[in-house]
Amino acid sequence: MNQAIITVQNLTKRYKNANKNAVDDISFTVDEGAFFAFLGPNGAGKTTTISILTTTLGKTSGEIKIAGFDIEKEAKKAREKLGIIFQQPSLDLQLSAEENIRFHACLYGMYGYRPSFRMMPAEYKNRIMELAELVGLKDALFKPIRKLSGGMQRKFEIVRSLMHTPAILFLDEPTAGLDALSRRNLWDYINNMRHENGTTVFLTTHYIDECEHVDKVCIINNGKIAINGSPDEMKQSLLKQELILDAADRSQLIGELSDMGMFHKMEEHIIVPYQDITAQNIIAQLKTKLTVLKIQEPTLEDAYIEYLKISGGKTV
Amino acid sequence: MSTTEIKNRKPRFVRELNAVITITARDFLLAIKSPFGLIMSFAMPVIMMGMLGGSLSQNMTAGLNFDYGQFMLVGMMVNMLFMFTAQGLTSLVEDRQTDFTQEMMISPVSRYSIVIGKIFGSSFGGILGMIGTLIVGLAMGITLSSWQLILIVALSPLMCLSAGAFAMLIIGVIKSNKTANMVIMIIAMTQMFLSGALIPIANSHGLLLVLNRLMPMTYCLDLTRAVVYAGTPEYANVVLFNPAINSVAIVGLTILFLIVGTLGFVRSEKNR
Repeated sequence: MNQAIITVQNLTKRYKNANKNAVDDISFTVDEGAFFAFLGPNGAGKTTTISILTTTLGKTSGEIKIAGFDIEKEAKKAREKLGIIFQQPSLDLQLSAEENIRFHACLYGMYGYRPSFRMMPAEYKNRIMELAELVGLKDALFKPIRKLSGGMQRKFEIVRSLMHTPAILFLDEPTAGLDALSRRNLWDYINNMRHENGTTVFLTTHYIDECEHVDKVCIINNGKIAINGSPDEMKQSLLKQELILDAADRSQLIGELSDMGMFHKMEEHIIVPYQDITAQNIIAQLKTKLTVLKIQEPTLEDAYIEYLKISGGKTV
Repeated sequence: MSTTEIKNRKPRFVRELNAVITITARDFLLAIKSPFGLIMSFAMPVIMMGMLGGSLSQNMTAGLNFDYGQFMLVGMMVNMLFMFTAQGLTSLVEDRQTDFTQEMMISPVSRYSIVIGKIFGSSFGGILGMIGTLIVGLAMGITLSSWQLILIVALSPLMCLSAGAFAMLIIGVIKSNKTANMVIMIIAMTQMFLSGALIPIANSHGLLLVLNRLMPMTYCLDLTRAVVYAGTPEYANVVLFNPAINSVAIVGLTILFLIVGTLGFVRSEKNR
């Protein structure tokens, strides 16, 4: 079991002049090296939580530790461990993409500042080229940011945040506005980075399929933690797996299922939800010759949508 | 690069210095890329020094027992440095509106390094303004010796810090870029008259006396004139305070304004 690298205890945030808490007494931990998904509908409190964790927003109460450092008392030490892809674009539109990235790398103390790309160390040049190639924008590197499309700007924002390979990478809806290939490349790169460097990834996204392989999912709704567990636990708690069956002699199949005490419903085929029993156990007890046999595994997105339906949460 | 390598970077002081240089360099780059800003840096001395100063010099300086032209040239050079540095610092508010501040605020450097970097970066326009003033002065037949120029240049970093710290005090409480620009401009103009950049203030009294003593530019101007006029017969007629008093006032006010302004700015960034 890894140690917790992010510890949040009883965190509450109420904005000035607001009549309710944006984040309301939440607690959770993220293990070192884990891939953690923080989900919730719009306005649930995700970005507020990330802003507090990354020290750009003050909390109303609660205690937060990043890599063992209290973000109130040791903010600078905590910040050394962080990297973030912001939800809102934060590039300097007057500068070129490379100038923005150079500014970031030098501000993080990776390299001494040099007034031009050509004067920067070879290591910097190689790294920026590698990352620009990753998002397919090597040719646009020296163009002013304001002349690039929104999607291209987003890609450079990603390149910038990956420059210093942080111990904890906060991704606030990182793939919004990205094309499919860039999304795939980004996730391949981040997964590779996780495996090579043990980077902890804290993700918020509305693309729930991106969270299918995370270690832990935490759903926040109306400022409160609603669910906190692994994707499998979440699926199991919210959805049943289903067997899709059919037979030439349908009435015999239905009779057998009834004898086994299995609930079933008729749609195009016979749907048999199951829990606490394996599909193999059910099939082994059936004697009717089947014409259709499918096992329906719920996705995390199914579970998430189910949760929103149950909780009456806002739509994503 | 792995996370372990980043941990083994340069010592903290070197990193903070690098951050100051990086932030300064960004503002220099932005200034170079903004032709309007560059034009303004040269247009302002023409208006202030050439028109306003020239008019004063021709019509209202009879009976002064010192060379008004040189008095005005030194005053306007300091004024330009002060005005453009303070004005440039309002880009911090603009950065806040474009969310670029987030990028700086999340970096593992001292908030003071960010502010000091911004102050030195903002001084680029001020340096151009000083050069513009010198050129206008030259066209008006007003000159300074090389040594006097070197002394003014040597004092300029302290004056930039003083101007920037004063601007930080205002920026710390203002959220809109438009308002910040307007307030800084009003204060800069007020300072120009109250601090004695153009008009001698040796005989000020009442409220005007109180106000000019509260302006950090009063001490910056006086220190610069003390240095420029040192050893000349005009010294007693031009300089108000002992240079030691000026130095203490400048350093004290700069540190106070820098701390209060930075804390205010960080607070307004975090406490929303």
